[in-house]
Amino acid sequence: MRAGARGHATVAATLALLALSSLARADVELKFGGQVSSDLRYRLGGAEVPAYGTDAPFPSQQRLLKYGFSRNENRIKTQLSLSISQRVKAVADVDFVFYGYSDVKDLNATLYRERVDPYYIESDAAYLDVYRMLPHLDLRIGRQIVSWGSADKFNPTNNLNTLDYSDPLLFGKALANQMIRLDWNPIADLIITAVWVPIFRPSRLPRTAPLALTQISRPAPVQDATQRQELGFLESIYTPSQINVYALQPAPSIQNSQFGGRVAGRLANIDMSLSYYYGRWGIPTPAWSILEQNNVVDVGVVWPRMQVLGFDFAGTIDKLGGMGWWVEGGVFFPQKVTYGLYDALQPGQWDPLTFQKNKAGQYGAYQLGYPEKDRGVVIPSKPFLKLTVGVDYSFNKHVYANFQYVYGFIDEFGSGRSVFARPGSHLGDPARTEARIGHYLVAGTDFKLFNDQLLLRFFGAFKVPQVGDDSPHFTAVLFPQIVWAVWDATELSLGSFVFLGPKDSKFGDPSVGATEVFLKAKFTY
Amino acid sequence: MRLRAVAVALCFFSLARADEPGKQSSGQSSGHPSGPELLAKMDHAMNAFKDATWDCKLRVKEPSGQWRELTFTTYQKSPGKRLVRFTGGDNKGMNVLVESADVVYVYLPDFKRVRRMGTHVKNQNFGGSDFSSEDMSQTSFAGVFDAKVVGEDAASFILELTAKPGLDLECPKLKVWLGKEPMQPTRIEYMDASGKKLKTQERLDYKKDSPEHWQPMRIVVTDHRRNDHASEIDFLSSKIDTGLSDDLFSVRTLQR
Repeated sequence: MRAGARGHATVAATLALLALSSLARADVELKFGGQVSSDLRYRLGGAEVPAYGTDAPFPSQQRLLKYGFSRNENRIKTQLSLSISQRVKAVADVDFVFYGYSDVKDLNATLYRERVDPYYIESDAAYLDVYRMLPHLDLRIGRQIVSWGSADKFNPTNNLNTLDYSDPLLFGKALANQMIRLDWNPIADLIITAVWVPIFRPSRLPRTAPLALTQISRPAPVQDATQRQELGFLESIYTPSQINVYALQPAPSIQNSQFGGRVAGRLANIDMSLSYYYGRWGIPTPAWSILEQNNVVDVGVVWPRMQVLGFDFAGTIDKLGGMGWWVEGGVFFPQKVTYGLYDALQPGQWDPLTFQKNKAGQYGAYQLGYPEKDRGVVIPSKPFLKLTVGVDYSFNKHVYANFQYVYGFIDEFGSGRSVFARPGSHLGDPARTEARIGHYLVAGTDFKLFNDQLLLRFFGAFKVPQVGDDSPHFTAVLFPQIVWAVWDATELSLGSFVFLGPKDSKFGDPSVGATEVFLKAKFTY
Repeated sequence: MRLRAVAVALCFFSLARADEPGKQSSGQSSGHPSGPELLAKMDHAMNAFKDATWDCKLRVKEPSGQWRELTFTTYQKSPGKRLVRFTGGDNKGMNVLVESADVVYVYLPDFKRVRRMGTHVKNQNFGGSDFSSEDMSQTSFAGVFDAKVVGEDAASFILELTAKPGLDLECPKLKVWLGKEPMQPTRIEYMDASGKKLKTQERLDYKKDSPEHWQPMRIVVTDHRRNDHASEIDFLSSKIDTGLSDDLFSVRTLQR
């Protein structure tokens, strides 16, 4: 009897579960998709990274030669979303990326698949949405990208996610991070957003970036010309035998978390928003340098704090055939970053190297030892503006154009001046300087042919010389490509990314990258 | 990044404009209905719903004779709000929201970003297809065209439509075969100002999807300027008056 009762109970429970699960299934929506892509690039000129005789970062075979394959990447992207009752949605997005280079530095490495064929995983999304958690209030929690701003690619208000600069073709792709986001939509198009980012994630830099700090010929990154010259003179005496760069990561404390708020809506048919961000700039800045024994130099980099007050507007001009327009700006309030210099040539002794102003307010020769005077300034605390103004227009079914004026490129930060070593100059020679925040014209056009199966695209960015720049140079990047939609969801593209300008210019600087030609294939499923 | 979005947004932009209630000319009322009366009846029949959801497949015929495909779901709510979610093909994951004739947003999945689009998108076609902003799914005509009856047969009235003064349309003249049951177009010929035929649209396989509404389950466009290049939309399903929420047609929903 007892066994029979238990059997009935089990059957009843199973049926109830089945009934419940079928009810649940009725409310569940599952979506699956992704991409398979391939990206092959060949480098044409440019500095070798790392220099001959130095270990390359992982994977070690991926050395950037003057002429050689600079990318050989294959990517499998999978995207999955699961919605329940239009109230909850879970989204996961994972890319498996094969470098296409080996990391076989010794024979033992050949025993391991992950060394012979290294890969990494990337995820743009792993979050949970709860819709209408409270009336008009949505919650998104987890790994995500929050995009703010109305401009194309050059978004001064978009700071919650740092950027991945490793691929110049993408002009900075947002790096997902773990966040908590609340959207309150009380009426119509008015949306008030609050985002909290517990832990800062630095930007990913191109493989050429270390050149900016490890090339001995580069001037010290301080703003004052006299200090720079003095430090160059010192460097010529104690020529570094090796430069090590160490990063001082922000601790995972509550004080180092980031947050932002935004109010967005539409008024008089114009989209507009006001935003605020408190956090850090994603590209590290040198802040310390210690001269060790045997002329080994250790450099420390930090990620400066900043606050950004942002605004953006976007709309359409009917009298100009519906031309689209946008204005986006941000006033940045940066943390002041100074350059702490120490001489540790005497074992167990660190002597600060600082400067003192004379009565005229100018710096003279350096002073070694205590008490410390003024350190050089790398990033002044003075607020600065970044701005993008743009328009776009479709002339007909075949031709589309996009034009933007950009004040402050994606990697530019801080008031003051950028410093370049003039080609052929020696340590201590006057450097070439120009305003850190530059003026750029960014323009592009698309020609679509053969029922949109063939796309000829040409984009470029040109740096506009400005008053006060030392011997301004022509410098630009060009981005021509041909995209062929071979078949449904299948695309082949061939093109190049061309850096133009001398080595002491924005785009000619070897640390920025070098000209590449590329062949890509992509299938979306 | 905006480029593809522009191409995608175009046709949906026009739908909102077409949905604006048309001003009807006062027509004569004799034994035979006048052009304006027929046009008003046609508009009413085409829009006899509060909201609609369509699963669609767009097919574009290639010169080789093969077809390219993309799939999307359209949510529409009167007056003039439309949300399109692309579910397959090159644009998978992209969403387009038409709030009004002048306000179009596109969600770009690769960039996790919502972009406001200029209304210049009407100058583009859609994914290489022959559907354009002025012929794809124009759901009301009386606000844009004046009409006169030029013929009649057992199944249809034949109307000649001429663009109202001051409107700059790619095809200012239309010839419409208006079915008598249902009172909806079965064939539309698009002409330039001189009367030269540029495109032909056929609306086929009408199916009653609500007590008041018939839906063409297939629309085929042939562009005579492109060597009779053809594109077609198959409506895989049609759901009428399911009570779509206004919340669905919002920027917030676009990025969900």
